[in-house]
Amino acid sequence: MGNFIYFTIQIMMIVLLAPLVNGIIKKIKALTQKRTGAPILQMYFDLYKLLKKSVVISQTSSWIYHVTPYLVFATALAAALLVPVSTMVTPTSFPGDGIMLIYIFVLTRFFIMLAGLDTGSTFGGMGSSREGMISSLIEPSMLISLFTIGLISKSTSIYQMMSTAKLLEIPLVQPVYLMIFIALLVIIIAETSRIPVDDPATHLELTMVHEAMMLEYSGRHLALMELGAVIKQLVLITLLANVFLPHDQLIHLTGMGALILSLLFYIIKVILLAVLIALIEVNTVKLRLFSVPNLAALSFILSFLGFINYFLLGR
Amino acid sequence: MFILQPDNLFLSNILFYIAAAFFSLLLRKKHKICNILANLLCIAGAFLGILASLGYMISDHEILRLVHFSTSIPLIALDLIIDDLTSFFVLGLSVLVLAVSLYSLGYNTHYYGKRPIGLFNFLYASFILSMFLVMTAGNTIFFFIAWEIMSLLSYFLVVFESEKEENQKAGTLYIIMTHIGATFLLIAFMIMFRYTGSFDILGSSAVIPAAAKNIIFLLLLVGFGTKAGMIPLHIWLPYAHPASSSNVSALMSGIMIKTAIYGLIRFVLLYLNIQHSWWGILILCLGVISAVLGIAYALIEHDIKRLLAFSSIENIGIILIGLGVSFIAFAQHNLFVACIGLMAALFHTFNHMLFKCGLFLGAGAIQYTTHTKDINNLGGLIKNMPATSVFILCFSLAISAIVPFNGFVSEWLTYQSLFINIDLGHAGVNMLYLLAAAALALCGALAAVCFVKLFGISFLGLARSTQAAEAKEVPMPMLLGMGLLAMICLVLGIFPLFLLRIVDKVGLSFTGLSVTDHLQGGWLMAYLPLQVEGNSITPWAFFLALLILILISLVMVRILGGKYRERKYNTWDCGFKELTPRMQYSATGFSKPLRIVFKILYRPGRELKTGEGTSPYFPLSQKYQVSTESIFEKYLYYPIILIMNKFSIKTRLSIQTGSIHMYLLYILITTLALLLYNQLV
Repeated sequence: MGNFIYFTIQIMMIVLLAPLVNGIIKKIKALTQKRTGAPILQMYFDLYKLLKKSVVISQTSSWIYHVTPYLVFATALAAALLVPVSTMVTPTSFPGDGIMLIYIFVLTRFFIMLAGLDTGSTFGGMGSSREGMISSLIEPSMLISLFTIGLISKSTSIYQMMSTAKLLEIPLVQPVYLMIFIALLVIIIAETSRIPVDDPATHLELTMVHEAMMLEYSGRHLALMELGAVIKQLVLITLLANVFLPHDQLIHLTGMGALILSLLFYIIKVILLAVLIALIEVNTVKLRLFSVPNLAALSFILSFLGFINYFLLGR
Repeated sequence: MFILQPDNLFLSNILFYIAAAFFSLLLRKKHKICNILANLLCIAGAFLGILASLGYMISDHEILRLVHFSTSIPLIALDLIIDDLTSFFVLGLSVLVLAVSLYSLGYNTHYYGKRPIGLFNFLYASFILSMFLVMTAGNTIFFFIAWEIMSLLSYFLVVFESEKEENQKAGTLYIIMTHIGATFLLIAFMIMFRYTGSFDILGSSAVIPAAAKNIIFLLLLVGFGTKAGMIPLHIWLPYAHPASSSNVSALMSGIMIKTAIYGLIRFVLLYLNIQHSWWGILILCLGVISAVLGIAYALIEHDIKRLLAFSSIENIGIILIGLGVSFIAFAQHNLFVACIGLMAALFHTFNHMLFKCGLFLGAGAIQYTTHTKDINNLGGLIKNMPATSVFILCFSLAISAIVPFNGFVSEWLTYQSLFINIDLGHAGVNMLYLLAAAALALCGALAAVCFVKLFGISFLGLARSTQAAEAKEVPMPMLLGMGLLAMICLVLGIFPLFLLRIVDKVGLSFTGLSVTDHLQGGWLMAYLPLQVEGNSITPWAFFLALLILILISLVMVRILGGKYRERKYNTWDCGFKELTPRMQYSATGFSKPLRIVFKILYRPGRELKTGEGTSPYFPLSQKYQVSTESIFEKYLYYPIILIMNKFSIKTRLSIQTGSIHMYLLYILITTLALLLYNQLV
């Protein structure tokens, strides 16, 4: 029963928090460009409005097109189940596996790419094709990063990774963790369709990848796709926050107090990382599509160096 | 019951296949009856095969000697044995034969009145029987004979539609490659006999010196590698699989290339007993190369069957990675890791049998109704072929290792076997393991792209040709065959332990170590997670969670958004008059970004031909051509062929002179040399 309540709270947290993180990133971008920008809560209003609107469906599309939004949303939530939100309060046997997490995202991507092809529009095909390239270049480094962190904690379970990191005072000071942190940060930027890999703000055929695939979506379907995307973003940020900046050692309370304090710490960390991502986005330009492999290679080499540093040189 | 003893079931399974072959020749004039009877007999045989192998593996058992006929020639005997390993492969064969024969009941109807269907079914049934014999052969001579029969029959099936030039070429390439492989096997078997004095497959290799074992290992690797389609010995596969008819290519890709995996386990692991860890490292490296290059080549193909053939090379690579890890661990006496690696390899073998066979059947279904194999001519099939499309989607998800299908579980096990093999102590091969894991991740992602392409371009969007627009759903038996395999894929993905416990018995029978203690859960329902040293996944829990979450999202959207209102409209056509199929992405266009990223591999060529008009600004016609190069054929095989050609021309002039005196001289020299050899040795 405890597990069930924990999972429910966690899922609710992530669903409710995810649009906010997106709002913060947008706000910071606006502020650095001397604009006021939309309110931080704008995405909630957008989502609510989209849910109320009627849906326009392409005549060419098939059932794949209808199923994809629900699947995208559900898989994002399933991924959220695998990543512990507050490491202090956790059920005894946590089934979260890092490799499974990666392959759940593959499931999401598989269907989004199919949905892009389903309407028969050129943009959809273009988006799917580019997404295929970027994701397949990013995937090896994502796996190696999780693998190496997993090797240090002797398990691919995300919960184990987090509790091992907890034993170190500040993991980020360790060279291994630092290198893999940067590698994962690059991966997360690419996975969540942000500058420099993809530009979430434009609908310009030269630059868009993720937007192109869901160009035909409207109404509640679009709302689900958007929400799914931000939940995925938050899950990845949570992974980063809890593996590299564990906060349990800072809490010396038990019971309800610990839970609340832990959630508070968690929110602060997520906001900090959101600020970091926003700053990166502000300070870079969108890369040419065929420069993305270099970025992926950078991330791969960093995670590989992390592995070599720990497993061949010994720390 | 006496009748239901596994040995009786195995024997009657053989009899049914023989009957199928016999009756299809007998009734060759009556196409319909012949086809139905032959396939029904095969189905019955396959059903008995499943019962027999399952019954054998579940019960407590010892090695079963099925048939033993000795001949007057010493050492040569017809010898059939059943142990855990053979029984596991027979299980796979029987499941596939069941599905494929069911499918053939419908598929073969397009041969009626056009092709000698009696001959086809005779070849088909005897091909199945020959694979059964390869798996159960009890001595190396009989193994080799069955191996050759299998190769020859599959050659006949490849060139069955012999009037097509591409089939003749494919067949010739296949028969040459397979015989090169067989030669290596024969030499290996002869060296084995030279030291042990016995052909027994279950015998001991203790008397063979270490140096000879290394040579035998390399010979076996080349021999079996050719059959498995291991890069760089893979070149026959992408030609032979598309050439044969779909039910045959399903069997060839599904199970025939796996007999090589059987051979590697049987002879290298069980017979030779891994001596050095470099054996495993070599297999691991070849596996990584095959996996990455296989899927990379599959990605740029737009002929469905060639694409599937290249993807088979990838999957053989994944199996070899598991096998390599297992061999390394055996050499280091790390039995637990070895068992996990072996289990991953065997489980992936079984999974690949299922989904690749299913995909080939699906390709056959597409070809049956549209008469084309080119993805660029298809499109929009999901509306006309709803059932087929669901099955192909299932297989595509399974082969891309996506949860909750069976491909994921075996890849996860492969990852775990790599993972638990890395430790701080062994610095040397750690890097290789990590690179193998990265390669596996790359393969998974590329496979997903590749099968999105296959499914998305051919089933979604608008029809690109009239054949695709007029496609119809295929007959019921074909759907049943595909549906059966799709169902097994899903069930094994959600409840993998059912098969894993069987696979575990294979490992148990020769290491004495059971891994299932670490794989918690019951026979069917894994109520506890699938667990390897603390790392666990719960496929069924994920599946359940996914269903519940989809339900929740449906309810949530309904509550927040109110009633669902929908309006149908065209896809946005960028302001043109209407959307045409020519605006859609083609298969070639879809893979273009990756073709550019990996251009070192494909060496793409582009050519734009312009037909001159009155003005250079208004050309009459334009033709744009994209081409890729096969590096292995160009830089490895063509040079060899050139050298061989030169050499043979030279030898023809100097040895085959046409003068009878010279030939008599050769015979004399040979006789003298042999006499001398006998005197000295």
